[in-house]
Amino acid sequence: MNTLAGPSPRPAARLTATSGIAWIEVSWHARSYRPLVDHFAVHGSPDPWFEPGPSTLLGKTVYGRFRHDGLGPRGQTWHYRIVTVDASGEQSPPSAALRAESVESVTVSGTPVAVIGSFDLRSLELALAPAGYQQYSARFGDGADYVDGVSSPGTDWPYLHPGPADRWAGSKAHTFRFRFRLAEQPAADLALAVWLIDTHASIPGRLAVTCNGTPVAEVELEKGATKGSLQGDATLPGTPLRPSVVELALPAAALRAGENTLTLGKAEGSWHAYDAVGVFAV
Amino acid sequence: MSGDDDRSGIGRRSFLGLAGVSAAALALGTGEATAAPRPGGRLPSDPFGLGIASGDPESHSIVLWTRLAPEPLAADGHGGMPRRPVTVEYEVAEDERFSRVVRRGHAVATAELAHSVHPEVAGLRPGREYFYRFRAGGHLSPPGRTRTAPAREARPGELSLALASCQAWYHGHFTAYRHLVADEPELVFFLGDYIYEYAINAANLWREGVTVGPAHDADVQTLEQYRLRYALFKTDPHLQRAHALAPWIVTWDDHEVQNNYAAEHSRYGISPEDFERRRAVAYRAYYENMPLRRAALPRGPDMRLYRRTPWGRLAEFNVLDTRQYRDDVPSDTTAGGEHTDPRRSILGAEQERWLVDGLRRSGALWNVLVQQVVLARIDRDTGPGTTFSMDQWDGFTANRDRLLGAVQRHGVDNLLVFTGDIHRHVAAELKADFTDPASATIGTELVTGSVGSDGDGAPTDGYTGLWLANPHVKFYDGRRGYVLCRMGPEALVSEFKVVDYIQRDDAAPVSTVARFVTEAGRPGLEREV
Repeated sequence: MNTLAGPSPRPAARLTATSGIAWIEVSWHARSYRPLVDHFAVHGSPDPWFEPGPSTLLGKTVYGRFRHDGLGPRGQTWHYRIVTVDASGEQSPPSAALRAESVESVTVSGTPVAVIGSFDLRSLELALAPAGYQQYSARFGDGADYVDGVSSPGTDWPYLHPGPADRWAGSKAHTFRFRFRLAEQPAADLALAVWLIDTHASIPGRLAVTCNGTPVAEVELEKGATKGSLQGDATLPGTPLRPSVVELALPAAALRAGENTLTLGKAEGSWHAYDAVGVFAV
Repeated sequence: MSGDDDRSGIGRRSFLGLAGVSAAALALGTGEATAAPRPGGRLPSDPFGLGIASGDPESHSIVLWTRLAPEPLAADGHGGMPRRPVTVEYEVAEDERFSRVVRRGHAVATAELAHSVHPEVAGLRPGREYFYRFRAGGHLSPPGRTRTAPAREARPGELSLALASCQAWYHGHFTAYRHLVADEPELVFFLGDYIYEYAINAANLWREGVTVGPAHDADVQTLEQYRLRYALFKTDPHLQRAHALAPWIVTWDDHEVQNNYAAEHSRYGISPEDFERRRAVAYRAYYENMPLRRAALPRGPDMRLYRRTPWGRLAEFNVLDTRQYRDDVPSDTTAGGEHTDPRRSILGAEQERWLVDGLRRSGALWNVLVQQVVLARIDRDTGPGTTFSMDQWDGFTANRDRLLGAVQRHGVDNLLVFTGDIHRHVAAELKADFTDPASATIGTELVTGSVGSDGDGAPTDGYTGLWLANPHVKFYDGRRGYVLCRMGPEALVSEFKVVDYIQRDDAAPVSTVARFVTEAGRPGLEREV
């Protein structure tokens, strides 16, 4: 019983979720100041009937949202309940449960057409990895030019893609090219998967994608941890790396029989660090 | 999360509605009780592991502080205390042996405030030394020494005071406090960054001879984490001794919440609504761990920290808060651009009015601003260009102009500014026109280096040229330390103290690397050493 500060903590209400590949973000409504909320303890389980306990605690936050990440490329279904803990240590009953699903990656649901590297949360198989970015300008100049079936990830696709904010890479825009062949123009859209093991923490910048000269998308990259320039394995326990995923459609109309050229351009912000890049039929 | 939060905080309004203030004071651990002590039961081990403190001296009263924590580093932030309230008795005596006790009382330590108490002891005599101690759960605290301010119209002879700031515990030992204690100042000013919110791990744990558990390897965000962070820093024995030595007058900077925050704006992509939730727990933890009066008790995400402490006719200390009310960082940081917008404020309109009004009315000889970030104009481009920090007063030039204009307009005597933040010792003269070295000097700014932040340091570093290129900057040193001052009717003597290293152990000797005299009636810095 909360003896001195008035009301007991109330459970969070009106839980909602948004999701992406490998993550689900849960938001809720709660009163934070009376009593003062120490934190919201976010519990989750694949089991819809779970009761919150130490083994189901995903994390604690003082904010009104919590991002559950690291869920992997396969779509997952989770159930969430939130316990409010106040300044005295008193706990509310758990909130009502919320069911949410993460989005499945095309690397799982699709069929590979052309791929650079392995989608494994590591940059280690790519050129210059895990920390050789100082050699980038000498080896790659204005960017990579990778030909599927000819080039090799370990020599022809650098792990780090710089942007104009990177003095070590000439403070200029850098465009990488990815060439692959199709036997015929596809009837349906293909999908492009760009997995990153990390990005710059404050200025990750935007990734501009074209397909055979046709603009496809400009994607604002998620903020990372600025560690992927020096470390290459996001599967290690306690890794500071903050992976993120970009997956988008390549319109069938922009593709053609024979050689196709994708460009990944970075004309804004600082670097991002690749895990793998691939084109998939979905 | 949508917001219909009640921002009134701990429920102070309802307490003030109770019959008599003692119930509120008792419940909040802030005041003397009129009733008999409630049995609190025994505590299994010494609960005074975080030390004791006093602060905010007035002519007839002082605030005492302790926070019960038999296991200071318990991961839930509650210090190993049971959830139940515990009575904390205190006594104040005129002598170190407690043979002449002049005040006794008790406060109730509750889990809502992490079992901290802030009893305000009134009825004391002005301008004299007292000793105090606590008893709780069958345990007696070590004694502390404190002091009341002189009477309002008194003309005290001399006051010795010390300035400290920026104590990143993980960067090294608090050797500076060991020497500060030996200097026995009568008053200590802490100028911000009492804790840091960063995760502590192998990358930044430069203090040798210690280990920390995984609970500390996380960015501090929840109340239990802030409480734990204060506990970790307060385990330093020299910090505890410095608190027990003399009353402290404290203010904060950014790291008590988050690096470089501005009001409700985070630099790290957190929405204002969520950031206020974080600010609320950070401010609560700050109150719980500082010797502050009940007027500072936070209300939700708000906390009134700016206040004024007169020291007879000798000085008036205006303690400022340049974090909670400041405008956000301008989107255009070009020198001469948005940061010069006359609408921009680092103090907020209400605090600015309060400050200027106080300065205008002051009859004190020395008028002191006790604050966080550098007030003097510092051009950070050593070449022909000009570049300014948007985090310091340079990011709010109109506010500085208004303040210094008021100082000149109202004939404010002997403006002194005590500053922290930059981890370096700096002494500067405040100019009527910073771009004209020949213009009048209208005040003096003493910037104390860090106690711990940035590790060992060196006399000169990569910033030395930058600072000394500004002609009104008279001194720079990049080592850890503190500033010791003797303030009298004729002059202020400021000594910049440094230790050569802090990472290896706490054994480094101290040296006085510079001594300045600022004569009353003649602002500026005359270097003696």
